[in-house]
Order: sequence, then structure tokens, then C-alpha cells
Amino acid sequence: MLSRFSDVLQTAADVLAPPATRLEDFEYHWKMILNFYERFDDNCKIHIEDTKIPHHLHQMLQLIVDEEKEQQGGTVGPCLEAIVQRSICLLDALTALAAADRPPGARSLALTAATALLRRTKQPCVNSVHIYRPLQRMLVQCNESPASPTEKEEVELLLTLCGLVRKEPGLANIFTTPFVEDKTSLLTVPEDIQKLIPLKKVHTPRKNPLFVDLTQNQLPNVSIIRTYDRDDSSNGAESLADDVSCKSQKTLYDENDKFLLIDLLLSYLDSADNQVVLRACEGIMIVSSLPEEDIANLVTSCSPACETIVDKLAARYRRIPPTVDPNDVDQLNITWAYVAQDFGDKSYSKFHGYRELTTFFSWLDYCDTLMKECHQSIASHLSRTFRQNFLEGTAEAGVTDLRLAVLATAVLSKCLKVVDSTDLINEFSNWLVGDGEVAEWPLLHTLISNCLSDNYDLALETLRFFESIIEKGTEHSMERLVLSRVGTRGYCREPGGGGAAAGGGVPAAGGDDTDRDRLNDLPLWRERETNREAMKQLQHEEHVSEQINDILSHEGLDLGGHAGAAENIHTIVNSYLLLLPRALLSDPVGSDYEHYIHDAHRHYQYWLDITSTFDWPVGLTGNDNTASSTHSYDSRPEADIHIHDAYYNNNNNSEQNLDKQHNTKKETKRYENDEFDEGPFLRMLFKLLSNMPYQPYQVNLHLTSIISKLALLPHPFLHEYLLNPTLPVAKSTPTLFKTMQELAKKLTTEIPRIKHYKKVVESTRLQLMSEDPSYDEVGEHNQLVESLIVLEEFCKELAAIAFVKYQHSLHAHG
Amino acid sequence: MAYAYLFKYIIIGDTGVGKSCLLLQFTDKRFQPVHDLTIGVEFGARMITIDGKQIKLQIWDTAGQEAFRSITRSYYRGAAGALLVYDITRRETFNHLTTWLEDARQHSNSNMVIMLIGNKSDLESRREVKKEEGEAFAREHGLVFMETSAKTAANVEEAFINTAKEIYEKIQEGVFDINNEANGIKIGPQHSTGAGAGGAGGAGAGGASSGGCC
Repeated sequence: MLSRFSDVLQTAADVLAPPATRLEDFEYHWKMILNFYERFDDNCKIHIEDTKIPHHLHQMLQLIVDEEKEQQGGTVGPCLEAIVQRSICLLDALTALAAADRPPGARSLALTAATALLRRTKQPCVNSVHIYRPLQRMLVQCNESPASPTEKEEVELLLTLCGLVRKEPGLANIFTTPFVEDKTSLLTVPEDIQKLIPLKKVHTPRKNPLFVDLTQNQLPNVSIIRTYDRDDSSNGAESLADDVSCKSQKTLYDENDKFLLIDLLLSYLDSADNQVVLRACEGIMIVSSLPEEDIANLVTSCSPACETIVDKLAARYRRIPPTVDPNDVDQLNITWAYVAQDFGDKSYSKFHGYRELTTFFSWLDYCDTLMKECHQSIASHLSRTFRQNFLEGTAEAGVTDLRLAVLATAVLSKCLKVVDSTDLINEFSNWLVGDGEVAEWPLLHTLISNCLSDNYDLALETLRFFESIIEKGTEHSMERLVLSRVGTRGYCREPGGGGAAAGGGVPAAGGDDTDRDRLNDLPLWRERETNREAMKQLQHEEHVSEQINDILSHEGLDLGGHAGAAENIHTIVNSYLLLLPRALLSDPVGSDYEHYIHDAHRHYQYWLDITSTFDWPVGLTGNDNTASSTHSYDSRPEADIHIHDAYYNNNNNSEQNLDKQHNTKKETKRYENDEFDEGPFLRMLFKLLSNMPYQPYQVNLHLTSIISKLALLPHPFLHEYLLNPTLPVAKSTPTLFKTMQELAKKLTTEIPRIKHYKKVVESTRLQLMSEDPSYDEVGEHNQLVESLIVLEEFCKELAAIAFVKYQHSLHAHG
Repeated sequence: MAYAYLFKYIIIGDTGVGKSCLLLQFTDKRFQPVHDLTIGVEFGARMITIDGKQIKLQIWDTAGQEAFRSITRSYYRGAAGALLVYDITRRETFNHLTTWLEDARQHSNSNMVIMLIGNKSDLESRREVKKEEGEAFAREHGLVFMETSAKTAANVEEAFINTAKEIYEKIQEGVFDINNEANGIKIGPQHSTGAGAGGAGGAGAGGASSGGCC
């Protein structure tokens, strides 16, 4: 508006008299401002917008912008030069106006004008003392009250300065204490300016972090040496200015130093205005994303940025009402950057606790995004702080407090699900499963016992949590949860007499057969002669076999070069698909099987990608031949020997690994004397699995989902332990397949006792497959039958996974 | 004001291609030759009508400079549409489109509608990128294309509204899950079902009400 008006004036003036030079114009507007203050009555209540001051300021700004367009080769025009030389002390004047806020509205105007000068000009010469000094004063003097009416303008100025620092990192020095330590001078208005703009003196800011007394608790000096050395010849202003841009100068910072820019931004994070908070967040992210190591050190060592950010997260977590429905938590999809605007919308509340949850998760998203974008050392520091101050200091209590555990687990599980930055995922996982060599980790034990709780809501949320933990799988969490035990292969009873994990007595020779007989010893087999289902069962088995053959040949895996392997995979797939007798199956045709194979392909590829960087033993190393390399995933007992050898051969290849080999051998030896212990996590899963008939459907669903995820993992030992039903193990060693057989036995005995059980099975299946959400709320469920259907589908899923992994190993090596 | 849907947009592209000017022209119907450098993002909103329905567009104008890319990336996720802008008088802004597109595709949801905009069509004499080249790029990458002038307002309305139309069509086809906020679409108050109790009572509406546009 003003610009158009002034254009008209300008045109009119040009007609009457020859145009003055730009500098003359500039001086004219400056004098008009000074004249105003010379005659200014301090009691005057007129708002600054009703005076001519905004017009004159705007004109001066416009003149600087205009002259810059005409400047060649980065030189500075006469108007800006007048400011740099301080022959026209515009910025000092603005600071005086901002400090005194006279007439009313002057502070806002001064802040906006300074921001505009910095944003509109390509080269604002901030490294000149007569530019940065007043800016420092302005920052220091304006940041005095948390809910100041000009906080929007203040934070815009800060953000603008962040932008300048982002482009010219050397400028950061202007906002650190070595350069702003002269507090008295910063808090006063220079004398010449006091004469020009005779306004009342300002008072000392109360909340400004710069003025915190540092004389107490002196900390040892930790030096951060600025070794910034950049050749930048484009800045012509340097020759004019007192150069403090420190481009090739070393500056020492110690822990008592402050990074004013960040500290000031942090003070705006508590604003009630979401837009102000957003701006402060942006400023912090812009500075933190600088690649300069020393700036990152300034942020972590000279400012409480990481601590403040995490404390805010913890505060927001604590504000979540304990009465929130845990089921609502999972629906949220929050982006930090959009929340500020969404919160302006009054109708923005979907359920009880929505705003609190949104506030929390948006801040989590900010932390996560910041960690992805910022310098690595800030990310490490921030994620460590996240673990200490949020996870351990705030969230952990909720998981162990049974009254709060369901909601706390739901929130944490969602947290883990949404975070994406590597540092955060690692700290999160380490907190959950413990780090170092700690054998017992209290939190993990709490979570595991929560899964076994009678409170199925808690069990369900905790299982979901474990699902997230596995999905976000870090090498460490996998190791702690499952691999530390399985990795020794202690479950495996070596054929040929070692009797490694024999436990209660060495079985007789030919124990394999005995075992297999026992495993296949389902009541149905005995009843076959008399049961009229027998014929159908046989037909069913033939049908399944044919189907598998079809799939095998369709995938080009018929009994060609890998006859033995193909036969093995056939046996394995059969073990799963024929676990339940046909009479009980709700969907005997197995139409979903192809679908499961398709899913397993997709998921397996996902896990191969995720674990590609893990230091896991692969099936076999390069010096082994192709034929045997398929064995790792066809799960033959004799193939296992190859894996075993390969593992050690692999280790022998590198000297670095010798220690590890040694350790592994020692471990193996230790376990040889004991019964195999699958560890608390797998024990819990097996226990829940055998308990399926007495648990709610949702619990069983998540349980089997966790197990199938584990089965998908491309770790050869975990693979054979979970997916090889023919693996020779000691009687006392629990396996997935044994547990499933026990369960199948239980269901086979109990379900036929239900009246019209076939109809019940059929209708339950229909209901479950319809995915009607109201079904869960209906009181009467036949959990027994539901668990049958879960098991039936689970069998198909495992068969598909075993098949896909086998197939992949053929493709990978063949 | 009541609306049937709310769409979230972002404007992306190199610095100086006229992103802020496009937004200002669309929301305020004016052109401002001197513009402050955008740091972080600026926000604008306007109501439009499609198919007789009121649709509120919330538009985030992002910083084009590489230095502020970390902020821009935060806005990809959760946007329903994006205007990808280049300057027809500066070839390099056209050459950078691939990078922008990759960045956008990587960080946004896969259904995001992207409209390619060749801005400054009023500066025909200084044109460096032919209209056909813009069309070809759009075709190759499955984008909608249009040349605009934020100065003369040519095609500016169309650019924003056509993007909205495409999002609207996708909603009708069921491509967007409108209940998932991560898609950048919100159903207006009169459309939402089952939220009646919470909405009117304003259980948690005590927060600061900022950005009171529309």
C-alpha cells in the first residue's frame, strides 16, 4: 500500500524538480525521522502507524533495495555504505526504537524493518560492526518477556538471522558470547543515538539467557576450536567494514559460552502462539543442519537446545490424559510442520485427548525430523538425551505402573512406529532391550511379563509394541530378543553322537525316526482306520501335495538339479499344511496359499534389505559350491553341518573375527552342558501360542504376526530353529513346530466336542474374514474356534515363508 | 467458513522462480515485484468451489534455496498437492526439476498430485525454456502442466484450481484415504460423522488460535 502511494508521490516530485540522487533521498528520509523524535513528546499516545515514520523507513529500505540492483560485482551502494560507515546510524536508531517502543508500535515496526533489510537485500553486510552490533542489541533488549506482543516479529528476525548464518556460517560468531560479552554496552543505547533519539532508557531483560549469572559453578573449559577457512572473495563489503566475519580466524569457545541465537530461539518454544513456536523450530533446524562441526558443537555444548527440546517432549507426554482410549492412539498421523495451522481450527478435536496426543506426537515428529536433518553430532546428543530424559526419565514409569501401562505402552509403541531417524531408532531399541552385555534387562522382563498378563488389553498393546520393535529391527535388538540364544545352535542335537543339547539323557541311535514318529503321532493317524474322515484326509493330503508340486514346477523348481532340496522343501511345506486334519479345516482348499506366497515374497525382500548391513552369517560363503548353499534354507539336518562349518570358516577368513570365533566356541561349549534355553522372549511367544484357545482373537493375531516376522528374518540359525519341522532336537528343547503340534492336538480333541462344530467353524471363519469391526464388540465369541482359524492361516503363512525363502536361496545362488 | 474439504498444498521449486508471487496472486490477487526472501515457509489460504462444493486450500510456500531444504522436506509429508515451479526465463531452474521431483516423490505420499508450472510467461522476450519442453517433461513424469504469470495473473487461478480438481477426482475415485490426515486432506465439519460431540463442545479448544485466515 505504502509503496504504491510513495510511487505516486515520487512521480509527482519528479515532474516539479529534477530527481535528487538516491543518497540525497536517503538522507532526507533519515532527517525526517530524526526531526520527528527531536520534537517527540513522550506523553504522546499516537500509534506509530499513524505517523510518517513507517513511510520514511520504507522509503529508505526501498532505496537500498533499488541501489543494490544496479551494483556490479557485489559492491555496496552509497545508501548501504552510509549505514556500514555509520554516517547514517539507521540500525542503531531502530534498536533504540525497539527498546523504548515509543511511540506505541515502534518496537514492532523496528523489528520488521530490520528483518526486511536483512531479507530483501542480497548482501546486508551483517559482518560489519555497525550492522551486527545494533542487531545484537536488538536481540538482547527485545527478548524480555515470554508473551510479548511483538514475539512474532522477534522470532521472524531470529529466523532471518538463522537463514543468514545457514548461508554464511562464519556469522555464527556474532551470536556467541566471545562477541557479545560486553553486556553493559549491549544494554545501553550509544550516546550519540541517545542524543538523536532521546527516549527513555531501557530496563534489563529478565528472561534473557545471556544474562544468567555464570560466576557460580564454573565448569572446566572445553575448547571448541573454530578452524573455519573459506576463501570467499565475493564479499566486497568486507573492505568497508570492521571485519569480524572470522572467515579464517580461530575462535575458542568454552562451556561457559552461550550460543545466543539458539538460546533465544529456545525461549520462544514456550509461546502460546503455535506460529511463533513453528518459526523457532524452523530456526533451530536451519542452524542445526549446518555441516560445520564447530557449529554443531556450539549447539550441543554451549546451548541447552537438545535438553530443552526433549524436556518439552516429556512435558507434552505428561499432559496426555490417563483416560485416553489406547485404541485411538494408533490412528494418529501427525506432521510437525502442519500442526501449527491445524490448531487454529477450533473443530480440531476428534476424540478425548486428541489435542494432547497431537501436541505430543507433533513434537516427536519434530525431534525425529530434526535428527534426520541435523549434524551427526547433534543427532547423537539429541538421541542420547531423548533416551535419558524422555524414555528413562519419563516414559519408563508408565510401562511398569499397571494402572497406566496399557496407555503408556500404546503411546510408546506408536512412538517407535513413527520414528524414522536411525539414531532415534537405535536409542529406542537399546532402551527396550538393554545395551552392553547385560544379561537381564528389567524393562524387557517387564514387557515380557506384561505380554503374559491376564489383562489382555495390556498383553495386546505390549505385543503390538514388540511387533514395532521387530519391524524397526536393529541388529542389536534382534540379537538381544532372539539371536543370542539361537545363535549358538544349542537347540540342535548334532547327528552322529555329539548329543549337544541332549539335556535329560542321550537318546538312542535312530532317535530321529523316533522323534518324527512321535511328532506325527496325532490321534487322527491312529483313528484313520476307523474314522470315516480318513479317506477324505488322504485325498486332502494328495491334493495338497499336488498343489505344492504345481507351485514348485510353476516356479521352475521341479526336481531338476536340486532333487534332494526340492524334496525337502516339499516335506516342510507339507508339515505345515497338513498340521491340522482336514475335518477341522475351515478352508481346506487353501485358496489363500498363493496369496500368502505373494506376501511372503514382498516381506522377505523387505527383510533382506533391512538386514543387508547386519553382521549376520549368510547361508554360506563364496568358496562353497552352489548345491550346498541351497541347504541353508531347505533346512535339511545334513545341510546344517555345512552351515556350521561355513560359519567358522567364514570367521577364519579374517583375523579380526578370531576373537569372535573363540567366543562363539566358548559359548557353544557352555550351552552344550545345559539344556537349550530359548530365552525369555521366545519362551513367552511359545507359551502364548500354546495358550491360544484361551486368548482373545486379537492377541492371537498379533502373536502369530510377530512369529511370522521372526520366521522371515534371513538368519540361517533362526531360520532352521523356527522353520525346520524336521530338525533333530532334544526332547526337552521347545520349538515352534512342537508347540504348534501340541496346539493342534488340543484343538483336534476339543473342537469336535462342540455341537455342530463344522457349522460353528464355518460361520466363525466367515465372520472373521468379513473384517466387520463390530464383531470385536459382540460379547460371545468362540475363542477355541477362533484360535483354530488363526492356526490354520498361520500354517499357510509359515509354509509360504519357508517356500519363498527356499526359492530365494535357489535364485540367489543358482 | 464452512467447507466440504480442506486440501493442503505446497509450492516448490528453485529460488526466485516466483513461488511467493504465485501464492500472493492467488490469495490476494496482487503482484509485488520486490519480495522478501522466504526462509522456512510462508502460509496462505483461500476458498474455492469445485462441483458446487466449498473447498478450502491451505498453501505452504516453501523456501527455494538449498540452505533451507531441511524445512521444505518437512512439508512434503502430509501434502495432497504440490505446485512444482520453474522460471521460463532461466534454463537452470528447469534443469533442476528432476532433483525437485525426486525429492518430492521420496518424501511425500505416493498419491500427491503434482502440477508443473512454468512461471513468468509474461517475459516472452527472455524465454529460455520452450513451452513444448515443459509439456514433454510433464508428460514423461505424469504431471499436469501449465504456464503462468504471477505478474499478469494469467493461468494462476487455473493452476491452483486444476490441482484441486485433480485431488477432488482422486477422492471421488477412492484413491485417497480421506480419514488419514497424512494425505493432506481433511473433511469439513459438516461432513464428518461421529465427531459431533467433541467438535462442538471444544473439549481441548483452549489452545491459541493463530492464523485466523478464512
